[in-house]
Amino acid sequence: MTDTSLETGDPTAIERVATSTDANILGRYWLTTGTFALLMSLVAGVLVSLERFEFDGSQIFGSADEFFQFWSAHRVGLVLLAVLPMLLGLGIAVAPAQVGSSCLVFPRMAAFSFWTWFTGAGITITGFLIDGGLGSPNAGGQREAVALTLMGLLMVIGGLIGSTISLLTTIMAARVPGLTLKRIPLFSWTLLVSGTIWILSLPVLAANILLVYVDLRGRPAVRFGMEDAIWEQISWISTHPQIYAFSLPLIGIVFDILPVSLNTRLKRHDVILVLTGFFGVVSFGAYAQTFFDTPGTPVMSEALYVVQAFAAAILVFAVFGGVAETLRFSILNRGAASRNRVPPPMVLSLLALLLLLIAVLGGALRVIGSLDLLNTSATGAQMTLTMGATLVGTMAGVFWWSEIIFHKKAFQGLGFLVGLSTFLAALIIGVCDFLSGFLGQSDFTGSSLVAAGSPKDPVGLFNTVAVVGSCLFLFSCLGWICIAFKRPAVATSSADTWGGHTLEWSADPLVIEVASDRPLLDLAEREEAES
Amino acid sequence: MVVDTEIATSEAPLGRPRTLLVGTLFATCATVMLFGALFALYMSVRNDVLAWGAEWFPEGSIELKPAGSLMSTFAISAVTMAWAHYSSTHGDRIHGYIALSLTALLGIAAINQTVFYFNDMNLPIDYSVATTFLYVIVGAHMVATGVAVLWIGLVLLRAFGGQIIGRHQDLVISVSIFWYAVVGLYTFIWLFIYVAK
Repeated sequence: MTDTSLETGDPTAIERVATSTDANILGRYWLTTGTFALLMSLVAGVLVSLERFEFDGSQIFGSADEFFQFWSAHRVGLVLLAVLPMLLGLGIAVAPAQVGSSCLVFPRMAAFSFWTWFTGAGITITGFLIDGGLGSPNAGGQREAVALTLMGLLMVIGGLIGSTISLLTTIMAARVPGLTLKRIPLFSWTLLVSGTIWILSLPVLAANILLVYVDLRGRPAVRFGMEDAIWEQISWISTHPQIYAFSLPLIGIVFDILPVSLNTRLKRHDVILVLTGFFGVVSFGAYAQTFFDTPGTPVMSEALYVVQAFAAAILVFAVFGGVAETLRFSILNRGAASRNRVPPPMVLSLLALLLLLIAVLGGALRVIGSLDLLNTSATGAQMTLTMGATLVGTMAGVFWWSEIIFHKKAFQGLGFLVGLSTFLAALIIGVCDFLSGFLGQSDFTGSSLVAAGSPKDPVGLFNTVAVVGSCLFLFSCLGWICIAFKRPAVATSSADTWGGHTLEWSADPLVIEVASDRPLLDLAEREEAES
Repeated sequence: MVVDTEIATSEAPLGRPRTLLVGTLFATCATVMLFGALFALYMSVRNDVLAWGAEWFPEGSIELKPAGSLMSTFAISAVTMAWAHYSSTHGDRIHGYIALSLTALLGIAAINQTVFYFNDMNLPIDYSVATTFLYVIVGAHMVATGVAVLWIGLVLLRAFGGQIIGRHQDLVISVSIFWYAVVGLYTFIWLFIYVAK
């Protein structure tokens, strides 16, 4: 408590909620609000998939414009209001502890950024609900509501950038002595790389939105604020290659969980550092704006765009090589120290990585010109698979670090089921949309067969299966919320359930000598050797 | 108010890395990217329009004298900021106050000049794509200048409180980084929008 509390008495519950600057609490705020935004986004996703059931006129929505508003709300909601905030929340709660810092750097800015994002998210959702959104093909929305949505999105981006700056500064400048960048845990490292990409790309999105907003407000739009042009200017945030920038920390989660679960040392820590660094570089996609294409040279046909897709696939394959080597090493050295059962977060994190591999392979196929997939539903499939992978990875991270974040043990079995169903849901939707893309279904199908690209026959079947996937996704999210609100049956016995190797599991990181990337494992091995 | 984190911060060892500097670098990168994106879009659309043989800005609508005067203001402010930086690293508090105050004053003058310039231009925002870009880029730059001036004000307050030397040099260095970025961005605006038209 500071002097302020002595002068004004104990803070009320609202004051405590609104003024907290604690990293754990802020992380929980991000996770909770991101989960509810995920729920809303998935509801929109279910409605969109139901509308795709048949292309003989609008079944659920009154017009193609309304359909478009929900379709774009689902995408923007999934990326900027749900998955990215949840990932950021996990990072804010865990990364400071991983680098041995007792708090976030710039805690007030981090808190202010959260509330800015929260208010912006509320305004964005309101904008979508009052016939606004991000434009529509027939300009059937309310201009003022569209402007409100854009303003909300600007606040969302501002909040995300502010929190990212706070997190990155913590990782860069608040590390304990000895913890060089080469030695920091991989989750923190991947947050550092991906956060840098966010810092470099989210302002570009803000610039796009600013241009649209200024053109839209008050007077007849000149070009950027025309309602049928808005989405094309900002859709790059949810497509290849930018979408990969939001999934990079998943690799860090995998390599923080895997060696501890297998009770082994990660042999190629430095190689994974380099691979994830390259993955960050290839995920920068702010340049890929089709709206500003010069006639005759579409950005999606440029060499860089194609190379990025293949490079991402190769890098994720290489990451899988790291996983395979760790597993092999663990099997070779299996002894008394090995665990009897595999922790559920490890399985979930590997499933998430598998989903990411499928996503990047799909991304590589999508850019092959002769397959003609660029403007088909393969685009949406790639987004769903990548975001699904990130979501399952985030769930794995939350279950793994639950005692650090929530100070209580998570329901591992139930959590595993929820994670598994999320994996299956994303896989079903992704594969169905991808196959539909091969058969010619457009990315935005509209509500008529012509607008859908006149796809070939089995597309109806794939769309039907995709509805099942969407519903499963929604139920998984509800299950996730249920777990969050359910109280644990068993009290936490120890802060370090898993026998962790990195500093977040230490009660006092300042007394630990950091001489490698696994300081607690070093300590354990030294003590074992001495005894 | 519960602010446990602050207590932890204040108890951190003095040798702690320069968090403010690192944070400022990230924030400056984000600001530069925002303008970088706007410049890139501006150039892309301008090239397309000119390739079609169309007019970008109306003939004679942009005079160079006010833009050049603004550039001079910003250039002088970069010098005064360097003076503030030098003074803080040498523990010269009085010169630090003067230099920071002058920089803030020049920033306010630049905002005032920009408003005058746009009134003088008398180009409506919806005249063409070019004027929309002009208002967005220059408007955003005015906001960035305003933020930098407010930041200098904050540093001055801390300076008058006796915190401009020693560990708190970072305050001056950080604000100077952001200020130089603002000046650099104006140089781009001057060259690629006002001069190149």
